[in-house]
Formats: sequence, structure tokens, C-alpha cells
Amino acid sequence: MKAISVSHLSKSYSVYKKEPGILGTFKSLVSRKYETVEAVKDISFEIEEGELIGFIGPNGAGKTTTLKCLSGLLYPTSGEVKVLGYTPFERKTKFLNNISLIMGQKNQLWWDLPAMDSFLLNKEMYQISEKQFNEVIEELSKLLEVKDFLLTPVKKLSLGQRMKMELIAALIHNPKVLFLDEPTIGLDVVMQKNLRDFIREYNRKYKATIILTSHYMGDVEELCKRVIVINHGKILFDGLLSNLVKKFASYKRVSIVLEDAINPRILEGVGEIEKYFFPELILQIKKEEANKILSKIIKEVPIADIRIEDPDVEDIIRDVFTSEKIKI
Amino acid sequence: MKWAAVKPYLQVAKNTWNNALTYRINVLLWRFRMVLQLLATYFLWLAVIPANKTVLGYSQSAMLTYVLASAVISAIVFSSLVGAVGEEINKGDLSNYLLKPVNYFAYWLARDAGDKAMNICFAVVEITLIILILRPPVFLQANLLYVFLSIVSVVMAILLYFLMNFLLGLIGFWSSEVWAPRFIFFTIYAFFSGGIFPLDILPKPFFIFFQILPFPYLLYFPIKLYLGQLSILEIILGFLASGIWLFLLFKFLQWGWQKGLKQYTAQGR
Repeated sequence: MKAISVSHLSKSYSVYKKEPGILGTFKSLVSRKYETVEAVKDISFEIEEGELIGFIGPNGAGKTTTLKCLSGLLYPTSGEVKVLGYTPFERKTKFLNNISLIMGQKNQLWWDLPAMDSFLLNKEMYQISEKQFNEVIEELSKLLEVKDFLLTPVKKLSLGQRMKMELIAALIHNPKVLFLDEPTIGLDVVMQKNLRDFIREYNRKYKATIILTSHYMGDVEELCKRVIVINHGKILFDGLLSNLVKKFASYKRVSIVLEDAINPRILEGVGEIEKYFFPELILQIKKEEANKILSKIIKEVPIADIRIEDPDVEDIIRDVFTSEKIKI
Repeated sequence: MKWAAVKPYLQVAKNTWNNALTYRINVLLWRFRMVLQLLATYFLWLAVIPANKTVLGYSQSAMLTYVLASAVISAIVFSSLVGAVGEEINKGDLSNYLLKPVNYFAYWLARDAGDKAMNICFAVVEITLIILILRPPVFLQANLLYVFLSIVSVVMAILLYFLMNFLLGLIGFWSSEVWAPRFIFFTIYAFFSGGIFPLDILPKPFFIFFQILPFPYLLYFPIKLYLGQLSILEIILGFLASGIWLFLLFKFLQWGWQKGLKQYTAQGR
């Protein structure tokens, strides 16, 4: 069953521009320049139940706007969105009971009260049984190591602790569809790992459908088989992460440990030198000519050790975003 | 309505109460300000109206009762947190509620209930102290029908004020300047509701015009009902007017809310 289907979704905002300073403020009082920003342009995709998808794109690419449309916050300018068979913007109780949108920089907790008070409120809103509530709080607070802080006023918590509390608040009702927008922001490496493990486990245990956006490629690489790459409001790629590498990696990385120092000039025209610090040499060579170039290198360069690999996913993604040559 | 449907809103009211208690000094100072205001008006009228004379149609006892009653009813009607709606829309905090199976209007009614409960507790203590210390000639309404009608009109006043305030908040969907209209609104209702003096001491044409507005039904009308100074016709017309305003404002709010949601950009990120 399709958990999510999006067809020809577009969303544009009208934003007004104001020059800085007092003069700009007065100007904007008299005449205001409005500009229509097309955050998302005609995108379509489908997601099966239980899939864990990575949503990647630079700042302002339209990721968050898409998630907001999917969770019913925004009214689409055009196009159709279905989540679990519901139209999100109608915000039916049954739909809301089964989704959660977690934004790394948004907070729903009551600032002056302990997190527990906010949890209790969510418990009543989602009509969760005492038993389930206690289990979830117990499990999550242990896993995220915040058990001791449940009764501390939220304003006294550190950023990381607060993020974890937000996460607990968003998962109390055991949602079937999760929209995670930068969930690991502000967490240290250990917690990032814990959280990833948790997301994977959550996906497996409840067959939950999850869309994850993150700036850390590590999150996406470790969790998602399928990724959707978006930039300027358009989908650039939708498919397996491994295919993304195959499709967009235009070069191979060759790491060489040298026996003797060389004059880097002899490598001119062979490939790009990413790093040369004796005895280490890293080359980027064109994929199509890899075989030819490699045999040449082996002949001309004194090699102690050689390794050939695909570039990092992070590098590929960066290339995709910086070069406009890739069109679908 | 099912119990489970009401429970979340009880929790909201409880949280609001607890939240207010975390700012104890704030609450105390706020109430102190209200008492000072009350005393100023109280002594003014005490000086203006001699003990056994009638000025502008009010005896000293009736006027002082009006002033004290206005303090209590203000505490009930005008204590409201709904002013934060505009800001919540602007900052995108509204998203938190839209994502949950919760009625945003009922949520704010519940928050107000928590806040009002706290304000009423304070107001009752204050007024009791003032009555015990100053021993003013307070008029106690013996006719229970008037007391009942007065209570009904206070409930309607609470809802009226809630709707007006909420409507102002909706401006947040279209503009980030939600404070200026609210400020003007504060000034208007403080005067037109009869909070500064009873409206019927004004020249007749003004007074009649004001009664078409929704504001007198926030304060003036409930107090006059309590004092038993209205004719049957005035009572019927009063309830009719506040009923019509309630209906109109409610419809307008529903309409504006639906329009606004389509505009909503869930900012803040």
C-alpha cells in the first residue's frame, strides 16, 4: 500500500522585501514590494508503507515546505497530496493521530514547566492509555538518557536535552508516519548514533513510514536505501542511494602510497590531484577513462599501495548541487 | 460530550495555572496594580457623591457597588491569554497545534479558564479585604433572578471578549504587525465597556449609540443587571444585542480562520 503519494505538488509564498534600517521601514509602510517565491515546483513521488526515505537538498531547496504540505500545515498551491489515504490539509483526527512532524528547531514543550507536564497534555490529546504512556516514556527516556530530567523545567535544560524531550513528545502517540526534519541537529556524536539506531529500530518495529531530512549525510547514508534529491523546488533524483553514486559520480578516487617522491608534473593531464603529501597521493580520475589512466599510472609511478574507490556521497551531492549541468 | 474529549482541555487549564505560578511575583504585582486602580476610582466617587445625595442618577452606595463589581467582573472577563494568538501565528508556533488532534479555539478557552480561575481567586480575596477594611456601603442584590441574569451575562461577556480578541489575533495570518490594532482595542474597550464610569451618565444620544456596539455587554450590562437598574425591555434588548454580536463574531471568526489557514506559511524555519 502506498503510504504517501504526491502528484504535481506546487507551493508558492508571497514574501515582501524590506530594506534594512529605519528608512527601509518607512519605505515599506508606503509601498511594499511583494515577491512570489516558488518553494516547490511540480513535484511528484510515491512512498510505500514502511519505507525509510532520505530527503536531501541544500538550505532553501524546498524540503521543509514539502514536509509541511505532507503534514497538513500548508495548503498546496496546486497538486494533490495523500498521506495514509487522507488529504493532510483537512486535518482529520484519524490522520493527525497517525503522523508526527519533528522539526529540529521547533518546540512544542511548555517553556516554564517540566517536560512531563507537556507529555501528560499530549497523552490526553491523543487519548493514550496510562499503560502505553508509561511504557513509551520509560523506553524513550532511558534510550535518550534523559530520565533524570523529566521533572526539570524545560527552560533549565541544555539544547541537547531539550531536543530529546521534543522527540519524546512527538512520539508519544506512536505515529505510523514520521516526518523528521533535521532530527540530529544539536546532538553530540554519541547521541546522533543513538538516535539513528532508534530511528532504524522504530522503522523496523512499527513498520513506520519515515521521511528524513538531514544536513548530515551520515544520517542518510546509514539509514536510507532510497533518497530523493531536491534543489530549487524540483526533484533532481529519486532512487536508490547506490544508484545515485553510480549515476552522478563522474570520477573515481585513487589513493596511492608512494615508494619514492615524484614530480607531480608527470601526472598532468592524467587527473586532478586532490592531495599530495609524501608518501600519500590522492587523485581524482575520470570514470570513463579509469582503466586507461590506471594502467598508465602503474607504469609511471612507484607504487607501494593503491586503492580505488567511489567518492564520498557527500562530495557527489555537493557536485550535484553546485553544477547546474545535471538535469532530469 | 465524552469525558475523554474534555480531558485534554482540563490538562491545558491545569498547565496554565501551574505556568502562572512559576511567575509568582509577576502575578502579585499585576494584582497590586489592579488594586491601586480600583482604590483610585473608589475614592474618587466617594469624594464626588455625598453619602445621602444622588449624582447623575447614582447614589453613593450604587456607585461604589458599581466600582467594586466592575473590579470583580473585569478580573473575570478581561483576564485572557488570547492576545498571544497573533504572535503564535507569526512565529509559526501555531504549527504545534495544527499537527495535533486538538481544537485550537477550545485550547485557548481552556487556557483562559485556567488563567481566569487564578485571577478570580485573587480578585475575591482583594475585594473581601477592601470590604472588611473600608466598610463601604455595598449594595447586596436580594432578588436572585437579577443575580442569575447577571451571571448569565458575564458568561456571554467572557465569550464576546474571547471572540474579539481572537479575531484580532487572526491578523497575524496577513501581517506581522499584530500589536498596534490590539493596543487601540485596549483603549476602546476600557472606555466603551463602562470600566471607567457607568455609561448611562453620558448624554443620551451617545449612550444609545454605544449600546449598538458590543463593548457595553462586556462590563456595563452585567453590573447594571446585578444592581437591578434595568427595565424589562432594556434587559431583553441587552441580551438580544449581545446574542447577535456573539453569533456575528463567531461566524466572522470561523470564516477568517479558514481563510487564514490557507495563507499560513508555518514560518520560523
